[in-house]
Amino acid sequence: MAALSVVCAGTIFLYLLRESAPVFFAEGSGFLTRSDWWVGESYGAGSMIFGSFMVTGIALIIILPFALGGAVFTSEFLSPRWRLVIKSVMELLAGVPGIVYGLLGMSMLAVWVKSGFGLIDGNTIFTAGLLLGIMILPTIITLSEDALRSVPGEYRETALALGLTRIEMVWSTVIPQAVPGIIGAIFLGMGRAMGETIAVMLVIGGLDKIPAPWFDVFQAGQSIPSKLGREAAEAIGSGLHWNALMGLGLTLFLVVMTLSMAGNMFLKRVRM
Amino acid sequence: MYICKYSKKWVCLLVLTLVFMTRDFSLLWAGERETLRIVGSTTVLPIASRAAEQFKALKGGTFRITVNAGGSGVGVNSVAGRRADIGMISRELSDGERRRFRDSHLTLHQVARDGVVCAVSSEVYEGGVRALTKQQISDIYRGRLTNWQEVGGPDRRIVVVDKERHRGTRHVFMKYILGNATARAPAARLVTGSNNEEQAKIAQSDGAIGMLSVAWLNEDVKGTGIREGDRVIEPTREHIVSGDFPMARSLVFLTAGEPKGLAREFIAFVLGPKGRRIIENSGYTPMPATTTAQVTTP
Amino acid sequence: MKREVVEKSALGVLAILTGTGVLLLLLILGSVIWKGGPALSWEFLFEASSDFGNAGGIYYQTVGTLLLMLGAALISMPIALGTALYLTEYTQSETVKKVLRNLIYSLNAMPTILFGLVGYLFFGVFLNTGVSWLTGMLILAVMILPTLQVSIQEAIEGIPEKYRETGMSLGLDHLAQVRSVIIPHSWHGMITGVLLGLARAAGETAAIMFTATTFSGILLPQSWADPVPTLQTHILVLAQDAVNSAALTKAWGAALILLFIVFILISFSFLLRGRLKMEAEL
Repeated sequence: MAALSVVCAGTIFLYLLRESAPVFFAEGSGFLTRSDWWVGESYGAGSMIFGSFMVTGIALIIILPFALGGAVFTSEFLSPRWRLVIKSVMELLAGVPGIVYGLLGMSMLAVWVKSGFGLIDGNTIFTAGLLLGIMILPTIITLSEDALRSVPGEYRETALALGLTRIEMVWSTVIPQAVPGIIGAIFLGMGRAMGETIAVMLVIGGLDKIPAPWFDVFQAGQSIPSKLGREAAEAIGSGLHWNALMGLGLTLFLVVMTLSMAGNMFLKRVRM
Repeated sequence: MYICKYSKKWVCLLVLTLVFMTRDFSLLWAGERETLRIVGSTTVLPIASRAAEQFKALKGGTFRITVNAGGSGVGVNSVAGRRADIGMISRELSDGERRRFRDSHLTLHQVARDGVVCAVSSEVYEGGVRALTKQQISDIYRGRLTNWQEVGGPDRRIVVVDKERHRGTRHVFMKYILGNATARAPAARLVTGSNNEEQAKIAQSDGAIGMLSVAWLNEDVKGTGIREGDRVIEPTREHIVSGDFPMARSLVFLTAGEPKGLAREFIAFVLGPKGRRIIENSGYTPMPATTTAQVTTP
Repeated sequence: MKREVVEKSALGVLAILTGTGVLLLLLILGSVIWKGGPALSWEFLFEASSDFGNAGGIYYQTVGTLLLMLGAALISMPIALGTALYLTEYTQSETVKKVLRNLIYSLNAMPTILFGLVGYLFFGVFLNTGVSWLTGMLILAVMILPTLQVSIQEAIEGIPEKYRETGMSLGLDHLAQVRSVIIPHSWHGMITGVLLGLARAAGETAAIMFTATTFSGILLPQSWADPVPTLQTHILVLAQDAVNSAALTKAWGAALILLFIVFILISFSFLLRGRLKMEAEL
């Protein structure tokens, strides 16, 4: 029965591999590098891969101060009761369905971004990144906080005994010890961000192009799950288009698997 | 242990809820009630949806009709893959589709006529852009014209709204404007899916251009006429029926092979007098009264 | 002096950062209530939807969501229990345990759209369950399996050694031990896991949107091969295709109901885990 989990992961991998093989034969490695996706002519996943990483990157940049700040504050400076409150809040936030985030993003966030930045339209890579940041906040906070809390108390006591202020103590003793765990938390947050489909699909704009210039995040773009969500129904079952979509799926699978396994390894070191 | 008592109550509640919900369906005889599955173009969707409601009310019985969107491409794919009985499409089948689904013997039944309009935001329309030439639209979508001023409108950037590649409305539009049903639009700033989404985006903007079915125009989204030489062809019903309007198209029900049973009855209903009324009320043009189920096998 | 200033300002900054996180939850909850509140009424909750969702209610969508959730939990629970027991009782090797645990956590982080795609290929095509609520339940069951399993496993591992020793000293063999010692004392972990799994399944759209659902035409599934309407896909379609603001308000109303379901489940799991801690400390 335990083999079931292995079987599951294995099945997913094998199916993706089998279904996507034809597109790799047709396009070669260009599938991953070229960014020209036009059904019937060529299948270059570059724009989607770029979009996925870009959106995740923006999410992290925006949310890390809040996530790490929150984790440090909660673990080091709050009483156990308040810590419980924060944990509960985070768990509720983590449970909010993706479609609700999508609805919020579409009707509120996109409108704010549009008027706030004077854009033509609020569905941009930036909007998706911002929304994703909010979505992965609970994940990163909770795991980082766990990492910080598992640093043994002696370190704190010794530092305080030496006359450091609390903040100095945290900065010089606790945080460095918890770094592997925090990195793990970030990796897992990234994995979650890369895999989110519905919320991103509704606010990213659906344009299969790498923006020109590449760092103009206020243009519409496309991420891998968003593309899958939009085109799967059209191509389902057979044909090179389907193989190409499976190729996207395979790429996503490998990236997220790697991030998750790496993240878990970093966390394990702390979860002794 | 009072956790056990607590959870027992919870489990009982669960079971009761399940029982309460099963009063309406009998899993015991998991027989297959007949279901007519209709999938595809959002342009044809209002017709199919309303017709389904009336058809069911008229006929009574225990069958069900499911109507889902997805776009013309999804309609074709679903019928060919036997995941739907009737596909709704608002364009012709592409060569690729004909080849891929040769064995499915896709059969087309025309149910209505419609026009695809080059739609602009109402502010642009009020600002003076009432008609455009094919060349101008083509240049806009290719990125050669970027400001409304260049075509007689206000000084504003043109927001080019494109549609998903497989959509029927796009095929018809691109075939006329760029000469190729699956042409790319390099200047596209946004990509939308259904007619509704496109309408919403054009309405929200004050400088957008897009492609829309005639039935979806409203105060915020205006349809431009097509200027050919000296004359302007407005997207009116007469021009669509007479064929003058260049982007007229047929709305089609697609089946795999000859339709049988419920599917056949439903298509006949849509082509009948009640169906024609629904089509007119939805903003489209019904086929001439003398048409019986037109069957064209590619 | 300066160090104290640094300390105070740093604390202030951190407090603000943390407060923002909490504020987010309130903002989200508030927005959904504000936008969706107007749509709520007795009719809304118990009527079928009509006219593309512009009119009517969300009764069958709610039922559909609940069916998928509960079905997934029912399917997943025995498997999760079995796996957890196997891992804790019958495997001795630490490496195997670690590898399996890592795999399970990674499965948990898998993008759900992939579950939908491969699930369709495997259940829908290969096992020929088609686009149906059965396929949906199976896919969701696989998806929430890690959630349940981890929770059960933690509960089992949290059973004080005393109980096991007592069991062994009474001469119970392994199977009897499992039955009379382990399962009764990890029941709460199972329930917690089920609640969290249900919450996760309720929030899931990508995995079911083209494998189990329909927007119109079906009220309650009448055979295993029927797709079902769900709150999640109802919201999705309305969000993209709302013709007027009335329909959009209904989408928000549906979102409010969905959020409500999820929050209730998670809150229950808090309460249970609270009792768990108290029990374990005895």
